[in-house]
Amino acid sequence: MAVKDLTSLIKSASSSRRQFMIGAGTALAGMALSCPALGQSKELTIISNIGNAGQREVLQRLASEYEKAGGVKVTINNMDHEAHKTAIRSYLVVGAPDLCFWFSGNRMKAFVKRDLFDDISDLFERENYKSVLGPSTAAVTVDGKQYGLPLGGLLWGLFYRKDVFAEKGWTAPKTIKDLLTLGEQAKSAGMIPVSMGTKEMWPAAGWFDHMNLRINGLDRHMALMDGQMSYTDDALKPVFDTWEELIKAEMFSPNHTSFGWEQAAAALAQKKAAMMDLAGFIKYGFPEDQVDQIAFAPFPEITSGMARYEDFALNSIHVPKNAKNKQGARDFLAYFYKPENLSAFLETESAVPPRSDCPPSKDPLVNAAVESLKTVAATAQYYDRDTDPDMAQEGLKGFQEFMVKPERREQVLARLEATRKRVFKV
Amino acid sequence: MHSCPKSGSAGEHRPHVTNSDPGKQKEMSSFWRRHRFWMAPTLFILPGALLFGIVIIMASIQTVWVSFFDWDGVSEMRWVGLSNYAQLIDDPQFYVSLKNNLIWLAMFMLAPPLGLALALLLNQPIRGMRIMKSLFFVPLVLASLTVGVVFTWVYDPSFGLLSLISGYFGATAPALLSDEHFVTFAVVVAALWPQTAFCLVLFLAGLNNLSEDLIGAGRVDGARGWPMLWHVVLPQLREVSFIALAVTVIGALRSFDMVAVMTSGGPFGSSTVLAYQMYEQSIFSYRFGYGAAIATVLFVIMAVFIAWYLRTLLKPEREAL
Repeated sequence: MAVKDLTSLIKSASSSRRQFMIGAGTALAGMALSCPALGQSKELTIISNIGNAGQREVLQRLASEYEKAGGVKVTINNMDHEAHKTAIRSYLVVGAPDLCFWFSGNRMKAFVKRDLFDDISDLFERENYKSVLGPSTAAVTVDGKQYGLPLGGLLWGLFYRKDVFAEKGWTAPKTIKDLLTLGEQAKSAGMIPVSMGTKEMWPAAGWFDHMNLRINGLDRHMALMDGQMSYTDDALKPVFDTWEELIKAEMFSPNHTSFGWEQAAAALAQKKAAMMDLAGFIKYGFPEDQVDQIAFAPFPEITSGMARYEDFALNSIHVPKNAKNKQGARDFLAYFYKPENLSAFLETESAVPPRSDCPPSKDPLVNAAVESLKTVAATAQYYDRDTDPDMAQEGLKGFQEFMVKPERREQVLARLEATRKRVFKV
Repeated sequence: MHSCPKSGSAGEHRPHVTNSDPGKQKEMSSFWRRHRFWMAPTLFILPGALLFGIVIIMASIQTVWVSFFDWDGVSEMRWVGLSNYAQLIDDPQFYVSLKNNLIWLAMFMLAPPLGLALALLLNQPIRGMRIMKSLFFVPLVLASLTVGVVFTWVYDPSFGLLSLISGYFGATAPALLSDEHFVTFAVVVAALWPQTAFCLVLFLAGLNNLSEDLIGAGRVDGARGWPMLWHVVLPQLREVSFIALAVTVIGALRSFDMVAVMTSGGPFGSSTVLAYQMYEQSIFSYRFGYGAAIATVLFVIMAVFIAWYLRTLLKPEREAL
């Protein structure tokens, strides 16, 4: 009851006071709810997949502050990021924590379909999240219900070094022609035009995403991701034609299958490469004192007049269906998702905060992404987050093969098409 | 289990019981005496048999069972009969894996002769040989993942040892792990290092157990060098060689860790082996039924080999009886 009154109060409050009221309301609601819940479990377990030490520290700090304030014992179990991807499927079924980190969009939907994530629409309602989240609500929504809270967003695009571009008198490419010209200039300066490491395969799929979004637009791209469009469709021909042209022009790192993105980012940092396609976390490849040299430019235009669609990948946090303390999990989320806490958590990974009322970031990379997002028409997430995981596995492999052996385009696409038919049962 | 039977003095042996109830003691010991012929071995075997039954037999049967279903590891299993196997036959990746497994098998056959050669070399009574021996043991001590990472660095085209060496000679080293034709060979070479060391240890142990009499007799008859090795030493190493061979074949067939750490099956699946493909399909593509079908095929291949192994192993024993 208290909650309902508070929400109506918040709704009637002026927008300048809203931020304060949400915070105060959350605290009050937490108190009001914890009163009858005294007999309930006062423990909360979180499984985290956070690899970055700074961010882990922030989460730990938030948890211990929450512990002191509310008397709830919060346990955080840290897992390796990659190992977590496989572990989550067993722990969601047996031994679920009260909260876990995951990825929004299709990857979340896979668990929603199997009834493994809890519907937290009530929390959205209670905290009035829709008003501050805007379009990122869609990333955690299935059939009109919300199953998680979006965390940091990664805006993908090209990165380069300001000092190198200034020294050579280059400008960030606006069109694919510019990119090819820049490639020639970089090669004559003895540099790799676009640094890329495809050992883990996904960077190649990202490049495909960006080209397909620039050539075919979001709707057709999503049709392909949802298995409704064939991989042998004529619409994809210009994508692979352009890509082949770039490959033949030696735009990408040689032997890119032998190393991962870290080594590719290091090549950019060491001025051996001119540009690289990644998101804000590129800064981990740079020495700390050179991070301010990194600049962002959107992926160049290919079909002129096409609206700007980008890959904007959102991580997320969820309450498993089998959690023991679902109410406690909601209360912690409400606290964790307060603008000041959320932005402290996201600051360390240069991710774009999903809430519009977060305090402005001090990180120039985040601000560049926020600025750039203003001219984005709509967003996809990323190849392996947008399509079925089984399809994604074959797709990643196929794009990597195409980048090494462009002459095998027909075989690769035929294989992807066969996989699409099997996975989406068409 | 307070009365473990000791060999020899079976008749006089009495269980040591602190409890002083002679009637009960007598009863127990006579029960034990009557049944210990089968009970003692059963009790000793039981823990191992239980473990083997659950971890190996049950798991194998379950794997075969799962291979008849369409299952993503979480939701309901759906019976599909032999469909997974039908898909496997049409899957080009399956043949790549199979071919790579054969390359592994063929190249791994180098491990026993290499190990033997090294063992003969290291078995010389020369000062400092112990240090040499322990140096050759090093790869055995390292986790295979470490070996994989080290070799990945050696092969790295920009800063690897291989490119440094070929740079010294003015040549450019090929990026072995990026080349679909070389990649499997490069991975097997890395895996051969610890495997050879393992065979070396086996052969060194075998060489220590050689019968001095036979060697002495051979010397008297004028055998030296090659004839000595071929006719006197090697026949005595027959059993050791057999174990080395068996371990090597199994090692080649179940190769997984090196592939996972060095290439993740890449580039574009060209270094995948059956065990890795099974893992990839089950874990990354959520196709547990399909993964189980691959595992079953691998199991059949191994079973054929193991049957041959057991036959050859048991034959001389039976002849000896």
